[in-house]
Amino acid sequence: MSVTSKVISFSQDLRERNVKVMLLAMIIAVATVATINAFADHLQRTLMTSASGFLAADRQLNSRTNAPIPEAWYAEAINQGLEVGRMVEFGTMVSNETQFQLVAIKAVDNAYPLRGELEWQANLDGDRETITSGPKPGEVWLNPRLMRLLELQPGDSLEVGATTLKVSGVIVREPDGGFRLSDLAPRVMMHIDDVAATEVIQPGSRVRHRGLFAGNSAALADFESWLEPQLTENYRWINVRQGETLGESLDKAEGFLLLGGSLAVLLAVVAIAVASRQYALSQRDRVALLKTMGLTGKRIRKLYISRLVVWGLISTLIGLMLAIPAAWLLASMTAQLMDQPLQFEVDFWQLWPAILTALVALFAFAYPPIDRLRNTPAMRVFRSLPSNDSSALAKDLLLAVVVIFGLLWVYVNDIVLVMALLGAVIALVVSLAIAGAGLIWILRRFPAGKGSWRLAVIALYRHRNATLSQMSVFAMTIMLAATLILVRSSLLADWQAQLPEDAPNHFLLNIAPESVDEVEAFFNQHQINRSPLYPIIRGRLTEINSQPAVEVALNKDDDELRRELNLTISDSYPDDNQVIAGQWFEADETKGLSIEQSLAESLGVEVGDELGFTVGAEKITATITSIRSVQWDSMRPNFFLIFPPKGAIDGLPSTSLTSFYLAEQDKQLLNDFVRQFPTISVLEIDHIIERIQQIIRQVTQAVEAILVMILLAAIAVMVAVVSATMSERQREGALLRTIGGQQRLLVRATMLEFALIGFLAGILGVLAAEIAVWALQYRMFDGEFRWHWPVVLSMPFISAVILAILGRWQLTPVLTVSPMLLLRRLE
Amino acid sequence: MSTDRQPNPSNDFMIEVQNLSHSVDLGTDSLTILQQVNLSIGKGESAAIVGRSGSGKTTLLGLLAGLDLPTSGTVHLDGHLISALSEDERASLRSRRVGFVFQSFQLLPTLSAIENVMLPIELAGLPDARSKAEGLLDRVGLAERMQHTPRQLSGGEQQRVAIARAFAVDPQVLFADEPTGNLDTRTGEAITELLMTLNREQGTTLVMVTHDQQLADRCQRHFVIEAGVLHEKQSDKQTVTAA
Ligand SMILES: Nc1ncnc2c1ncn2[C@@H]1O[C@H](COP(=O)(O)OP(=O)(O)O)[C@@H](O)[C@H]1O
Ligand SMILES: [Mg+2]
Repeated sequence: MSVTSKVISFSQDLRERNVKVMLLAMIIAVATVATINAFADHLQRTLMTSASGFLAADRQLNSRTNAPIPEAWYAEAINQGLEVGRMVEFGTMVSNETQFQLVAIKAVDNAYPLRGELEWQANLDGDRETITSGPKPGEVWLNPRLMRLLELQPGDSLEVGATTLKVSGVIVREPDGGFRLSDLAPRVMMHIDDVAATEVIQPGSRVRHRGLFAGNSAALADFESWLEPQLTENYRWINVRQGETLGESLDKAEGFLLLGGSLAVLLAVVAIAVASRQYALSQRDRVALLKTMGLTGKRIRKLYISRLVVWGLISTLIGLMLAIPAAWLLASMTAQLMDQPLQFEVDFWQLWPAILTALVALFAFAYPPIDRLRNTPAMRVFRSLPSNDSSALAKDLLLAVVVIFGLLWVYVNDIVLVMALLGAVIALVVSLAIAGAGLIWILRRFPAGKGSWRLAVIALYRHRNATLSQMSVFAMTIMLAATLILVRSSLLADWQAQLPEDAPNHFLLNIAPESVDEVEAFFNQHQINRSPLYPIIRGRLTEINSQPAVEVALNKDDDELRRELNLTISDSYPDDNQVIAGQWFEADETKGLSIEQSLAESLGVEVGDELGFTVGAEKITATITSIRSVQWDSMRPNFFLIFPPKGAIDGLPSTSLTSFYLAEQDKQLLNDFVRQFPTISVLEIDHIIERIQQIIRQVTQAVEAILVMILLAAIAVMVAVVSATMSERQREGALLRTIGGQQRLLVRATMLEFALIGFLAGILGVLAAEIAVWALQYRMFDGEFRWHWPVVLSMPFISAVILAILGRWQLTPVLTVSPMLLLRRLE
Repeated sequence: MSTDRQPNPSNDFMIEVQNLSHSVDLGTDSLTILQQVNLSIGKGESAAIVGRSGSGKTTLLGLLAGLDLPTSGTVHLDGHLISALSEDERASLRSRRVGFVFQSFQLLPTLSAIENVMLPIELAGLPDARSKAEGLLDRVGLAERMQHTPRQLSGGEQQRVAIARAFAVDPQVLFADEPTGNLDTRTGEAITELLMTLNREQGTTLVMVTHDQQLADRCQRHFVIEAGVLHEKQSDKQTVTAA
C-alpha cells in the first residue's frame, strides 16, 4: 500500500475519534432502520396470522347468495400453492325425537380450521380442550345451551333434516365465531359430507357457502389478482382487516412502526452530519500540510471521497449484519406472547431502505463538509484560521431539509407524517438559532457566579460553536425520543380505551318484556353491571319508496333484504358512531329513521328516502333522516337501523338486548343463568375480546421494544457527539489540572456545563416534540391534542442528568492519568 | 501587472518580490501586516529573516511560498508570477520545487518516520520513494528509528524527520519557519548544522525565519523585519533598505 493512501487509509481512519463516531452513527443508522423494517414486516405478518384465526383462514370467500363457490376457483387456489377449505352455513330444525329446536349449522370439511383453533369438551362437565379439526363424518357437536335444551349426552343421536348424526362433543368456541347479533340460533357443527343427506338444502332455502384460503402472502396475492376480475357482487373476498376485527388497531401499530423508523433515520442522519463536520474540522491541518506538499484540490477530494465510499460500504455491511439478529431477537420476544409463533425470515426488500439511508446519509450529510476540505487555506500550516463557511452551512441545511423530506417520503409515503416531522425539525432549528443567539448574548454579558458555576459558564462561552452544534443534536435527539414516547403513550391509552379490561364480553338477546325484571334481579344478586337495555324489534325491510325492495335496491341480492333485521329504538346513537349525512333525531321526531352507511349504499338510498318494513303482521314506514357510520369492530351493540322513541315502531312487540362483563372465573354463573332463563340467548364474545387484547399486548410489546431501541440509538448518538469534542476538552481539563485546578472543581464545572446544555436542549426538544405530536395526532392516530405535562416537565431534567453523566464520563481519563502524560498524549 | 506565466528570462532569482503589501480583513477594519516589501533571493542563496514575534515573518514566508496571495505587489517564485496562478497551479508548482520545515514539525502522527518522508515523494509521483527516504533518514541520523511514529520520537528527532521530508523531493527552495524554535539550544544547534549542511550539499535556496542570531549569521543574506517593514542587514552589520 502506498503511503499516500495510508495517509487517509481505513485503518488510520479508525484511530481517528471522529471517524469512529461517524462509523458508529452510520452503523446505528443502518442497523436501526433495517431492524425496524425487518421486524415491522415480521410483526405485520405475525399479527395477520394471529388475527387470521378470526377467519379460520388467511382469507375467506363468502357467497352472498345460495350459489356455491365455483370448483374452478378452488382448483386454481390449490394450483397456486394455497390450502383451501370448504364451509356451508344454514339454519334448520334439529330434534332429539321429542323436542325440536331451530339451530345455526356450520358444516366444515377436514381442512377446517386452516388457522386458529376450536375449543371443545367431550361432555358438558368435561374440560375445555383446544383442537384443530372439526367433527368427523356422521358426528355432530352442539353448543352447551343446545345440549341442555335438548337434554342430550355424548353418544345420543340428533336428527338433522333427513339424517341422524351421533353427538360426539360440545363445541364451546369456534375461531371464526365472529360477532353477529343477528345469529340468534344455537350453533351446531357437523361435517360437510353429511350435508347432502340432510336434504335441507333446497332451492330457495338460505344457505351460505364460505371458501377458506391460507398460504404465504405472495401466493395469496397472486391468487387474489387472478380472482379479482371474476368476482361478482355475489361474492365477498375478505381478509382480516376487512373482517369484523381490528383493522384499525393494526393500522395504528403500523403507523407507529413507520414513525419509529423515520425517527431512526432522522437520528442517524443528524449524528452523521455532526460527526462528518467534526471529522472535516479535524482534518483541516492535514489538508493544509498536504497542500504545502503540492497536492491539488482535486486530488484531495479524490482521496477523501474514496474513504467515504469505503466507510459507507463497511458500516452498511456491519449495520445489516447487526440488524438481522436484532430483528430476530425482537421477533422472538413477541413470539413468547403467541400461541403459534411465525417463522422469522428476512429478505432483501426489507433491507433496502437501510441501504438507501446509508447512501443518502453519506452523500447528503457526510460528503459536503468533507468536500469543502479542499478549500482549506494552505496558510493553516502556520496558524489556525477561522473558516468562513456560514454560507456553506445554509446550503447544507437546505440540502438536508430537501433530502430528509425525500428520504422520509420514500420511506413512509405519508405526507402528514413527513410534514409533521419536518415542521417540527424546522421549528426546532429556528428556535435553536434564536435560543443559541440569546444564550451567547447572556453568557457574554453575565459570566457571573463563583467557583464551578463560573467555570461552567466560561466554558460554555468559550466552546460556543461546539456548544451550539452539540445542543442542536441533543435537542433533535430529545425531540425524536420525546415524540416517540408521547405517541406511544397516546397509542396505548387509545387502545386501552377502545377495549378496556372490563369491556362487555357477553351479550344477552331475546329478553322477553316479562323477564326483564327477573333478569334485573339476577344481575343485582350477582353484582354484575350491565349496559342499558336496547329494545329489539325483528322486522323485514320490504319497500323502498313504496316499491318492493328486492326489485329496486341497488344490490338486489343483499342478505339484509332476505332476513329479519334487528330494529331498535333509541334517542341517542352509540358514542363511536358518526352521523355522516342528514341530522340526528329532533326531540319530537316521529317519522324518522337512522340507517347504517354500508346498508344505505347497498340499497342505494339517501336521506329523504322512505323505507317500508314488515313487523309481524304490521307494515310500517319511516323516512331516512340520517346515515351513520358504525364501528363494527368496537365489540359493542351496533344496529343497522335506529328509530326514534316516538317513531314508527314504538309500541310494537319487542324483546331486549344487553351486554355485560363476566370474568373467566365467574363463567359458571352462565350455567345458572341459562337454567333460569332457557329462552334468553347468551352470546359469548369473551374469546374474541381476549384475542384482540392479546394482539394489542403483542403490538404494545413491539412498540415498547422499538421505543427502547430508538432510545438506545438516541443515547448512542449523544455519546458519539460528546466524544467528538472529547480530546479538546480533555486537553483543557489536563491544562486546568496542571495549573492547579482541583479535581472536584473540574468535575463539578464540567458536569454543570453539560447539564446546562442538556437542560436547554431538553426544553427545546420536548417543545418541538409537542409540535410533531400535535400534527401527527390528527391524522395518524386521531386523538386530541393536550399538553403532556409529565413528559414536558421531566424531559429537560432527564436530559440534563444524562448529559451530566456523559460529561463526567468523558472527563475520566483526565482525572485518572497524570496531567503531564495527558498533555503529551493529546499533543 | 504582468500576467506572464513563462519564467521571467531576465533574472536568475529564485524569489523576487516587488512592492508587496499584505493586510487582513478583520470585519470592521483591516490590519496591515506587511508594507512595501521588496526583496530578491538568488538561486542557491541562503537567507535569514529575523524579527520580533508578531512582526510578520510567517506571513511573508507563506506569501513567498505561494501559500497565500498578497493584497498588492508581486511575487515571482522560480520565475512564475504566483498571483497569476490558481490555487491548484500554485500547489503543482510547489510539488517538486518547494520544501518546508515548521516550528511545530507538522509530522503526520499516524505515519511512521519513513512514511512521513516518503509522502511528498509519492505525492510528486517520483520513483523509489522508500530507498530515497531510507537514505535521507540515514543522513539525518535516524536509521534506527525509521519505523517509529512521531509520538515515539523526541522533539529534535521529529525535526530531523521533518528535515528529511523537506529534502525528499530535492526541492529548489526550502522554507523554514523558526525550525529551532521548539528545541533546546544544544538540539537547536545540531538541527541548524544539519539544515545548513544539507542545504549546501543539495545547492538548495534556503529562506529561513528565525530569531536565533547565530543561525541568522550563518546565512548569506540577512533580513530584518520590523512592524511589517523589511530591511536587509549587510554582512558588515550595517542596515540598509533592501534593493
Ligand atoms: N489571518 C490573519 N488574521 C488576523 N491577524 C493575522 C492574520 N495573519 C497574521 N495576523 C497578524 O499579523 C501579525 C503578524 O503575524 P505573523 O506573520 O505570524 O508574525 P510572526 O511570524 O513574525 O510572529 C500578527 O500580529 C498576527 O496576529
Ligand atoms: Mg511566526
